[in-house]
Amino acid sequence: MALLEAIGISKTYPGGVVANDGVNLVVESGEVHAVVGENGAGKSTLMKILFGIEQPNAGALMLDGKPVRFANPREAIEAGIGMVFQHFSLVPSFSVYENVVLGSEPRSGIRFERHKAIAEVKAISDRFRLSVDPMPAVMTLPVGQQQRVEILKALYRNARILILDEPTAVLAPQEVQELFVAIRSLVAQGKTVIFIAHKLPEVLEISDTITVMRQGKTVGQVKAKEVTEKSLAAMMVGREVTLRVERKATDQSQRVAEIEGLRVVNARGTEVVAGLDLNVHAGEVVGLVGVEGNGQAETLEAVAGLRAIAAGTIRIADKDATAMSVLDRRALGLASIPEDRIARGLATGATVAENLVATRLNETRYVRNGLLDLKAIKANALQLIERFSIRVGGPASTVDTLSGGNMQKVVVARELAEQPKLLLVNQPTRGVDLGATQFIWRTITDARDAGAAVLLSSADLGELLALSDRLLVLYRGRIVAAFVNTPDLTPETLGTYMLGLSTQTADEMKAALR
Amino acid sequence: MTELFLTVFSAAFFVTIIRTTTPLLLATMGGLVADLSGALNVALEGMMLIGCLTAVIVSVYAPWYVAVGAGLGAGALLGLVMAFFSFRLKADIILVGFAINILAAGGTVFALALATGGDKGTSINLQSKAVPSVDLSFLDAIPGVGPVLTAFLSGHSVLSWIAAFIVFAVWYFLFRTPWGLWLRGVGEYPAAPEAAGIPVNKVRTWSLIVSGALAGLGGAQLAMFNYVGFTRDMTAGRGFIALGAVLLGARHPVGALIAALLFGAFEALAVVMPGLFNEAPAELIRMIPFIVTIAALILFSVRAQRALALRGVK
Ligand SMILES: Nc1ncnc2c1ncn2[C@@H]1O[C@H](COP(=O)(O)OP(=O)(O)OP(=O)(O)O)[C@@H](O)[C@H]1O
Ligand SMILES: [Mg+2]
Repeated sequence: MALLEAIGISKTYPGGVVANDGVNLVVESGEVHAVVGENGAGKSTLMKILFGIEQPNAGALMLDGKPVRFANPREAIEAGIGMVFQHFSLVPSFSVYENVVLGSEPRSGIRFERHKAIAEVKAISDRFRLSVDPMPAVMTLPVGQQQRVEILKALYRNARILILDEPTAVLAPQEVQELFVAIRSLVAQGKTVIFIAHKLPEVLEISDTITVMRQGKTVGQVKAKEVTEKSLAAMMVGREVTLRVERKATDQSQRVAEIEGLRVVNARGTEVVAGLDLNVHAGEVVGLVGVEGNGQAETLEAVAGLRAIAAGTIRIADKDATAMSVLDRRALGLASIPEDRIARGLATGATVAENLVATRLNETRYVRNGLLDLKAIKANALQLIERFSIRVGGPASTVDTLSGGNMQKVVVARELAEQPKLLLVNQPTRGVDLGATQFIWRTITDARDAGAAVLLSSADLGELLALSDRLLVLYRGRIVAAFVNTPDLTPETLGTYMLGLSTQTADEMKAALR
Repeated sequence: MTELFLTVFSAAFFVTIIRTTTPLLLATMGGLVADLSGALNVALEGMMLIGCLTAVIVSVYAPWYVAVGAGLGAGALLGLVMAFFSFRLKADIILVGFAINILAAGGTVFALALATGGDKGTSINLQSKAVPSVDLSFLDAIPGVGPVLTAFLSGHSVLSWIAAFIVFAVWYFLFRTPWGLWLRGVGEYPAAPEAAGIPVNKVRTWSLIVSGALAGLGGAQLAMFNYVGFTRDMTAGRGFIALGAVLLGARHPVGALIAALLFGAFEALAVVMPGLFNEAPAELIRMIPFIVTIAALILFSVRAQRALALRGVK
């Protein structure tokens, strides 16, 4: 008998989007069950239904063979289901243990028993090998640790079934491995894990069973052992997909960005970029390689004008841009696809059309006599939605109703609507499905081929190797190795430099530092 | 000048400070509870004012403690009304708050006129009662420090002692009970308690009710001890000063207590100074708490901005 079964689930959101259309899911006890599918396929919606956040319009849920209904998360929690969302729900200033027990605190009389809470959190974290210090405030922890706190929260409430919605999208490669160790230990102790991810190698590595969804329907359920990456991709997209882009030969003689002696200090006063010198030329993609937190993100933010710098100069298109405002930098031809599309890339409560012109409100095309030209804004949106094949109800839909991949397409569409001179890109395909990844890679490469200088950072080495002309490895805010991208450059080679295990000499780097 | 010093360091002045601080402190605690739950209560002023009038009118017919309870109850009811409009009917909480303030300003005058048979300024011809003060003169018997203790501790309103206890109770609630954890969580990041199954709006509703009750209690002290009787607009901005005190006190009960004492001290000065300096208009002195609030808020935001700049946020 299956542990958890969803039968014929349908869900139409107000506004008419059919997110689930007769979905079936059969989860066996003690397995890792992956759910895969393109952006907007309805995976998160299905999970929200399992967790009682959304109510299905049709269909039934069976737990231990008995029909159940969850009117709210509390009921799902009581039935032994726990969920970790892609966007964490932790109170930033609360300590780890306070976050874990919030809502079901140990108490004696009216008193919150802190010692008992701390001891219990320690006990669970030992038992499931999810080591986290219970004392510090969660906002001081790296993302990987915050995710553990979320998992602990579910385990503290005795979850038997743990739903993880795209847990790996926010993690660095090592953290992914640590998460997998934890998942295996959970399963070994009788828990069941439902896991959503876009990267197929990860899915094949961790899961026992895979359910594939496409456009709100289940396409099929397969055993992980019986499929290959290729056959799985074909099932997901409905056609063959190859993740490869051809780069044209370009003229790379013209220097577009010149960064000299860049230093950035973070809130805690530690130096995160420690004297960086690098140049980016027209028609090339320079990839910043490194374990997350070694200065890549800060470098990009500093060049974009989003972060105060401690020292150094930044020249864009032969002008000193060190002290320029974001707007002035953009006027020089800068475009930027930021790491966090929700916090930095988009105004989620605004419409798609508004977001698509948000960086062009100083142009008379869209603003005349201080008033928005709504017709032109709509026409622009329609054209970009078509050109970048964004799946959305229409230009007037708000961005928060879009799936993750389509949100990212909106950012890409806005930044690449016009050919930029300098393009900054950070994690362009995080949480983005195969088809959209291929599309975004193609778009960035097209911008490069047309003469843009591109500075790219990504946690995905495959992505960096696929797109870059040159690769610079950052470790603790310094360049420790530089390579011209050739087919025989491997992730393993990069890895040893990323972890700071070795450093190239100035001579070795010379060839790749122009 | 020496005269001023003598006054300021006298026991009588200390008693005055406690008297002026008490209504403010109660409202500040109310503001704190609401603010920490994420439901900014801008209606403290109006709740206090209605608390004043309710207490005065009820005290004509009932014992003082019933009147104090009525003032508290009126505030709590307004808190519930505010919660109903903002959470159930989804109206903007700031607008609802101001609506209550406006309603209170006009409504109290109207109700006063009805109660007094036409007087729209004061309740002077109503026989309203006062909150008793606590007489601790038996402390005199302690050799040595006895008289000093009596001078400082005797003669405060019952509500002043209760207010002191409330500061402790609020602190204990916020930092030692599970519900305090809920409340702070709801105020800081509602998505987290929501996912943990905590009813966010219910928590906020209760905080507004408590917030209103404390403001109403502050009103009772104001109209049954600081002054005995009701005068139109007698709260004179105390509800807004309380909001300032919450921020100035860094949204912590002890900080808020210190801020309330500071504002109370200025008000006490405004009470005694006109007697000492005939030339300085009392109005000018009464402006001091407001100026301090503005200065403190500017100082705070400058500091916050610096901290942000350090973090590299522009
Ligand atoms: N609250 C909402 N209101 C309206 N439409 C919504 C809402 N949430 C999701 N949708 C729509 O429902 C569809 C399915 O979304 P869902 O989030 O389930 O996709 P997903 O498979 O999780 O995608 P991704 O991989 O990008 O996270 C999408 O078309 C999305 O735009
Ligand atoms: Mg999703």
